[in-house]
Amino acid sequence: MTGALLQVRNLTVDLFTARTALRPVDGVSYSVQSGETLAIVGESGSGKTVSNFAPLGLMPTGVVADIHGSILFDGTELVGMPEKQLRRIRGGGIGTIFQDPMSALNPALRVGRQIAEVGELHLGLTSMQAEARALELLKLVRMSDPEARLRQYPHELSGGLRQRAMIAIAIAGEPKLLVADEPTTALDVTVQAQIIALLKDLQQRLNMAIVLITHDMGVVAGTASKVVVMYAGRVAEYGTAEQVLLEPRHPYTQGLIAALPLPEDPPGSPFRGLPGAPPILGAPVKACAFASRCPLVLENCTKAVPQLLSISGVSATACHVVNASRLKEPANA
Amino acid sequence: MPEAQPLLRVENLVTRFKSVERSKWISAVDDVSITLAPGEMVGLVGESGCGKSTLGRTIVGLERPQSGRILLDGVDLSTLRGAELRRRRRAIQYVFQDPYASLNDRQTIGEAIAEALIIMGISDPAEQRRRIRTLLDQVGLPDALAERYPRELSGGQRQRVAIARSLAVEPRVLICDEPVSALDLSIRAQVMNLFLRLHKDLGVACLFIAHDLALVRQATSRTYVMYLGKIIEEATSAELYARPSHPYSKALLGSIPSADPRIEVTREPPEIFGDIPSPTNPPSGCRFRTRCPHAAEVCASAVPPLVALSPSHQAGCVLAEKFYAESAAQPLPHPAPAPRDIQTMHAR
Repeated sequence: MTGALLQVRNLTVDLFTARTALRPVDGVSYSVQSGETLAIVGESGSGKTVSNFAPLGLMPTGVVADIHGSILFDGTELVGMPEKQLRRIRGGGIGTIFQDPMSALNPALRVGRQIAEVGELHLGLTSMQAEARALELLKLVRMSDPEARLRQYPHELSGGLRQRAMIAIAIAGEPKLLVADEPTTALDVTVQAQIIALLKDLQQRLNMAIVLITHDMGVVAGTASKVVVMYAGRVAEYGTAEQVLLEPRHPYTQGLIAALPLPEDPPGSPFRGLPGAPPILGAPVKACAFASRCPLVLENCTKAVPQLLSISGVSATACHVVNASRLKEPANA
Repeated sequence: MPEAQPLLRVENLVTRFKSVERSKWISAVDDVSITLAPGEMVGLVGESGCGKSTLGRTIVGLERPQSGRILLDGVDLSTLRGAELRRRRRAIQYVFQDPYASLNDRQTIGEAIAEALIIMGISDPAEQRRRIRTLLDQVGLPDALAERYPRELSGGQRQRVAIARSLAVEPRVLICDEPVSALDLSIRAQVMNLFLRLHKDLGVACLFIAHDLALVRQATSRTYVMYLGKIIEEATSAELYARPSHPYSKALLGSIPSADPRIEVTREPPEIFGDIPSPTNPPSGCRFRTRCPHAAEVCASAVPPLVALSPSHQAGCVLAEKFYAESAAQPLPHPAPAPRDIQTMHAR
């Protein structure tokens, strides 16, 4: 696994606010090769966003993040890196796209300026050069009428165009890795399809790796080569997109995929779903977090944390039941 | 089409808003007519900004229509005033998208529901408590929750409370505006099944406003597709999804990604250009023509009327009959086609 562009090993994030302490990410490991797309799937509170943004220093003010483990990006350790160096990586080597382009863009600056800024900061361009590059980038993200868009403010753009502007900013620093947090959730399906096609096209042209954080299995199927399924801050399942989507092994993944409405379901038929509610963030649990909702639950599940055991190739599952049936000796935490 | 007198009939409704530009108006809902039979589940789909929420809000009286009529049991609501209007309108209730915003933080769940009961004329505290228990039970929540505050509840529980509160006044129509889109994937099914059960047990009619097409197809028997303030297609849900006959409906359905990577590899992008245009200045003639791959000169001159394709299927496109005939040529597996079939229809 030495060729990986991003190598996350045993990442644990503890967050401390004035009132509470949480562990939204607990012992997460995965790797991304250059030019490939890894999807991180999970519900709200599963830690999928925090695991990516806390190490980059992107946390709300007033929250102290205590990060353990290791994140090797292009051979450099990000955990414990001083803020000054981290700044170069953020927006430079690693570009980010956020869910809601309206709140991520600066409402008081023209779109062109916001894109040019990145070129000035990370590529050392003069403002003239950077503005010219901003125009190129807008063409690259296939924005209609790019010259006019440069001079517009974010509120003058539609949701789809704003997200394109956001992508232009993210790729302006020529990143090797793009972290996209729910890039299409706030968009309509027709626009979503366009943005996904654009991301795939850019990835090929710029040879970028993408970490795609999403809850939409359709988006995963169309883009990712590998998938991490997160539940309550831990990796529940890891594998290739084909394996995870077509032959899910973890009962949570199975439930999520079975919950998708199918064209064969007759109108008026009941919806399939998972019982219960996702866990509330808090102190780490000394058991399988999914046990209370799991149809296969055994006694052991409420007593020990299931280890993420690899089954074949890259695929791995953190489930006592699945792992016990696959291995001769039962998995013990 | 419902045979009996519809419970709710909206006729040529227009709702306009003042634009930020002087003396300009935005017609968010432009000449829309829909019907809802007693106990019917009907879907209303479209992109954001197409006016689907405004239509719902106008029906419940949260917006004032510019023209057109809203008839409940054949009575035009605009002819009523005061207590009579409030009494009649009570039959239509709204379930909002965001259960984090629609409940008062400072009221317990019991208090929130009791408010609705007071409107119903139930003022006896013991009777109120009994009704609150029944209502919470109907939406699958434990009694104990009546003493809790919304902040102590999860998103799914809050949405259930919002539904219980709507049910307190014994409505016959629920207008559900994206009722599950703010909820987590694994709980959506639970809340959707609640709607299906309420529909079955109480016979409440629902107008489902949503952008999740797969969800609407499974929950409703009939669906309206809205684009830039106008209804552009209407059909039974099964037929709309099998034989979409307006290029916009086709693009919308073709955009739903499948969770199967083998299908996604071969998928063609939907036939649609760009974003929804600004409603301040909608395109002349057919409103979809600026994004339509089939647009011709004729589309710019006049708004295409709704063409009846079958007794329960209408589409507002000059080529609707051609698309409808083409879709029949495709093998139509029963009960509904796989997404692959919809996609090959697009690829051509």
